[in-house]
Amino acid sequence: MTTSAQTVVAPARAKTAAATATVRRKQGFQHGGWFVAPFLALFALFVVWPLLRGVYLSFTDANISGDAASFVGLDNYREALNDQAMWDALGHSAYFTLLVVPCITVLAFLLAMLAHHIERGKWLWRLCFFAPFLLPSTVAANMWQWLFTQGIGLFNETFGLTTPWLTDKSYAMLAIVIATLWWTVGFSFLLYLAALQGIPDHLYEAAKLDGANAWHRMVHITLPMMRHITGLVIALQALASLQLFDQAVVMMDFSPGPELSTRSFVQYTLEQGFTSYRVGYASAMSIIFFVIIAAVALARMALLRNREEGTR
Amino acid sequence: MAGSLGFAALGTGADALASGADTRVRYWNLFSGGDGANMIAMLDAFRKENPGIDVKDSTLQWGNPFYTKLAMAAAGNRAPELGVMHMGRVAGFSPGRLLDPWDEALLAKYGVRKEDYNPALWNRGVIDGKLYALPLDIHVQLCFYRKDVLKKADLLGDDGRMIPVTSTDEWFDVLKKAKSVQKKGLQTIGLWTNDQNFQWWFFVAFYTQLGGRWFNDDAPANTEVLFDVDKATQVLEFFRQHVTDGYVIPGAPTGEQFINGAPFTWEGNWSVPVFSGAKLDYGATPLPPVFGKQATHAESHAFVLPHQSGRGGATNEAAHELAAYVVTHALQWAAGGHIPAYTPTLSTAAYKKLEPQNEYVSAMDHQATEPKVWFAGSTGVLAQDLGPVVVSSTMGSAKPDAVARTMKSHLTKLLASKNPMDGKTAAQGGAVA
Amino acid sequence: MSSTQIRLKPRNPWTPSQIVLTLLGVAVSALFMAPIAAALLTSLKSEAEAAEIPPHWLPEVWTGQAWKALWETGNISNWFVNSLVVSVLVTAVVVTVAALAGYGFARTEFKGKSALMGVVMAGLMISPAVLGVPLFTTVQQMGMVDTYWGMILPQCAPAAMVYILYKFFQGIPRELEEAAFIDGAGRWRVFFTIVLPLSRPSLAAVGIFTFIASWNNFLWPYMVTNNPDLMTMPNGIATVMNSYGIQWAQLMAGGLMAGLPLIIVFIFFQRQIVAGVAHTGLAGQ
Repeated sequence: MTTSAQTVVAPARAKTAAATATVRRKQGFQHGGWFVAPFLALFALFVVWPLLRGVYLSFTDANISGDAASFVGLDNYREALNDQAMWDALGHSAYFTLLVVPCITVLAFLLAMLAHHIERGKWLWRLCFFAPFLLPSTVAANMWQWLFTQGIGLFNETFGLTTPWLTDKSYAMLAIVIATLWWTVGFSFLLYLAALQGIPDHLYEAAKLDGANAWHRMVHITLPMMRHITGLVIALQALASLQLFDQAVVMMDFSPGPELSTRSFVQYTLEQGFTSYRVGYASAMSIIFFVIIAAVALARMALLRNREEGTR
Repeated sequence: MAGSLGFAALGTGADALASGADTRVRYWNLFSGGDGANMIAMLDAFRKENPGIDVKDSTLQWGNPFYTKLAMAAAGNRAPELGVMHMGRVAGFSPGRLLDPWDEALLAKYGVRKEDYNPALWNRGVIDGKLYALPLDIHVQLCFYRKDVLKKADLLGDDGRMIPVTSTDEWFDVLKKAKSVQKKGLQTIGLWTNDQNFQWWFFVAFYTQLGGRWFNDDAPANTEVLFDVDKATQVLEFFRQHVTDGYVIPGAPTGEQFINGAPFTWEGNWSVPVFSGAKLDYGATPLPPVFGKQATHAESHAFVLPHQSGRGGATNEAAHELAAYVVTHALQWAAGGHIPAYTPTLSTAAYKKLEPQNEYVSAMDHQATEPKVWFAGSTGVLAQDLGPVVVSSTMGSAKPDAVARTMKSHLTKLLASKNPMDGKTAAQGGAVA
Repeated sequence: MSSTQIRLKPRNPWTPSQIVLTLLGVAVSALFMAPIAAALLTSLKSEAEAAEIPPHWLPEVWTGQAWKALWETGNISNWFVNSLVVSVLVTAVVVTVAALAGYGFARTEFKGKSALMGVVMAGLMISPAVLGVPLFTTVQQMGMVDTYWGMILPQCAPAAMVYILYKFFQGIPRELEEAAFIDGAGRWRVFFTIVLPLSRPSLAAVGIFTFIASWNNFLWPYMVTNNPDLMTMPNGIATVMNSYGIQWAQLMAGGLMAGLPLIIVFIFFQRQIVAGVAHTGLAGQ
């Protein structure tokens, strides 16, 4: 293992033993490259390389066949920025995100409060609220597609409505939002539940002694303790929602929805790449999308940093 | 790639190992309507006669997902031996790159000859002198009607069929009468008002009835857009009136409504087995010639050989044999509603007895088809682009005349856009058959 | 949480507020379970009844035809095996690779570590949804379209999991390892005999989360598999099953078959899964 350890000679035993220990202790943490190598290899192949390749392809007119393509400079970007359909698709993804994120945050918190405060059957509430999250997106989407289908669906029937959920452009995205809330709220719910359970009891007890009622305890202890987790929930949801695809395409039978109203950015990109075979153009849109996602993620990091500095 | 052998072994999947048959033909299709069951029955018959050939058929999600998957499989060199496509998509599907040509001698060996086809139909599958698409059928958009309801409204002729309609006024008169006797709570006619594919097909049909043109068809290139905004407006207003006059419940599932008692629905002929299976007393005619001239939207399913770099040998021959078998045994296929492309089938007594097929077989003589450009064809770029625009007019979110102008500008843009597979625009003769 | 404790001490009496809360809980739970119940009931109808206007909740004629047809006609058993193979392999690779890398970043020194860490963090923003088309062409170049490896490997580089384990390893007291180094143990032995046993809960959390994500993954398998024989459950159900016209009863039966395994596993391992999901999620803070 360590050559230095083997060359140590017997006489100065005690002294060298201590020296060896120091050397060993230090060397134990050296040369860790092999630990990270397998991950880095996969990461390089399937994350870094596609990103670089995407940048390269975005400057070409490559098609789906994988044959040689020619360089077209900034044409793809120029076309994309002037492509109203792309902006519409981005608008749909953003609209979806703006609807889903606040709803999920509030709903998840309320569900967590409910499950946290009922004393009996905790496992049951957890199961019921979280189970939908365990379904594959396509299965959840199929279920809601059926519930929302006009005439034969149980949603309208149960609530006495006649709303054309899936076929009218003013409702289609709402239908996807409702299905998404049901499907994914369980994840944020669990995060809130864990955070609620992490609040030390003594805080509440002290407050009780001070005569604070339930409402005060909620406003002055629970909510402030939830600030951090709320930031996390919002960030995770926003990044996931911007990448809307699965539910929307399945609920709309792989179409862009009534009058294109549910075509998300991801869907439009894949349509360009795989349906219209324009891999170069789709790559340019991918890069644009990457920049948008990165901007959102960086904005969150900046916010976090500010807040941490502020609290310090 | 050190591990590529391992990759390949894992990639073949459990299914290939489990099969004991000698020659395996993978066959991908998109028959998702009532016709799917008929295809499966034909395959079963083929399997019985050819125990040495293992047919592995897969039905994929209809429409663009199917073409995406087929293109990606061919591009990734993992294509099935046999596939099905819409005729209109062949030109844009890069014949030679994503598709392999048929061996006509081999087809002849299994009984399929050019002489057994309508020459125009056969030639749609020929590109650069080679046959890339072997036609299986012609399928058309139809006006289905319930005889039990129409009888009450006195809309059936002496022959038990719906009385002919020759103008929009007559047509709306018919709808009015039917509405007065139909079951309440249902719509009078199913128009797929919110479906971009159907709305586009219906548009193509009625626009053709008006004699409208798309491009100047200066073979081999289309250089000019001849789209007629006035005619298009007329068609769009006609569609819209169904909604404003209350004959349609937008978004209601059309087939279910018809089965439950709605008097009319416009559907593809592939719904025949569905409605027959539901034991309805119904008939089906080509879309009514309300603008004076018969024309209904028509497309064709055709067999294709997706590109395989090592195509040949026994599997390739088996693919030819299977395609030839299905084409020549198309009576069963006709039961699924489609009009067989193989003409000997059409003249059999058995076919002539099929109902309601014998009522609409004439539709093949006045087909309305999309222009022959690389971006056309079922669920192709053209349909994807213009379909939603037509829907926006029918659903009332845009005015018909504005929509007609939008359509023209889209067509102009499409004509100038490059076919990604060969880098040429339609105006440069890019991949036009 | 501590269920043994609850059993030991007498339960609180039913106070009015507990009654109200419990009733509310029941109502909300019913709302959440309704779609799954509807799917189950629909799967027990005939196809004709499933498409009837107006619809009704309970089947008039109870029949298992949809479930039977699913097994007879579909590829569903194939898909189930594919899903299992893919999710198990992805989980195994991710846990191994992420544990090694997390430890490497947390505890060892090597050239360019901080720069590499930065690159990996940037990787958090990349997913098949963001970079789908270039990722597909990459996999296409490698000849892995329509293979198990093509589905598996691109799911095996999740920066998030490395980050979670990295945070965890940083929290392990250094002294434990140092003592072992002094005793002459090599770093691999320290990793396997000291660090890994300590991190079992975190590894389980990463494993569980990865398995759920992989079992339910749709987008990437959808892009990279075209051959229906190779599809996983979510992909097959969405792109192949739908295609027999809409057979709602069968579609619901298939959906339940894809979704129920995880729900059943959840019922049995609820504590670990809840801890795991909360843990992986919270680590993002």
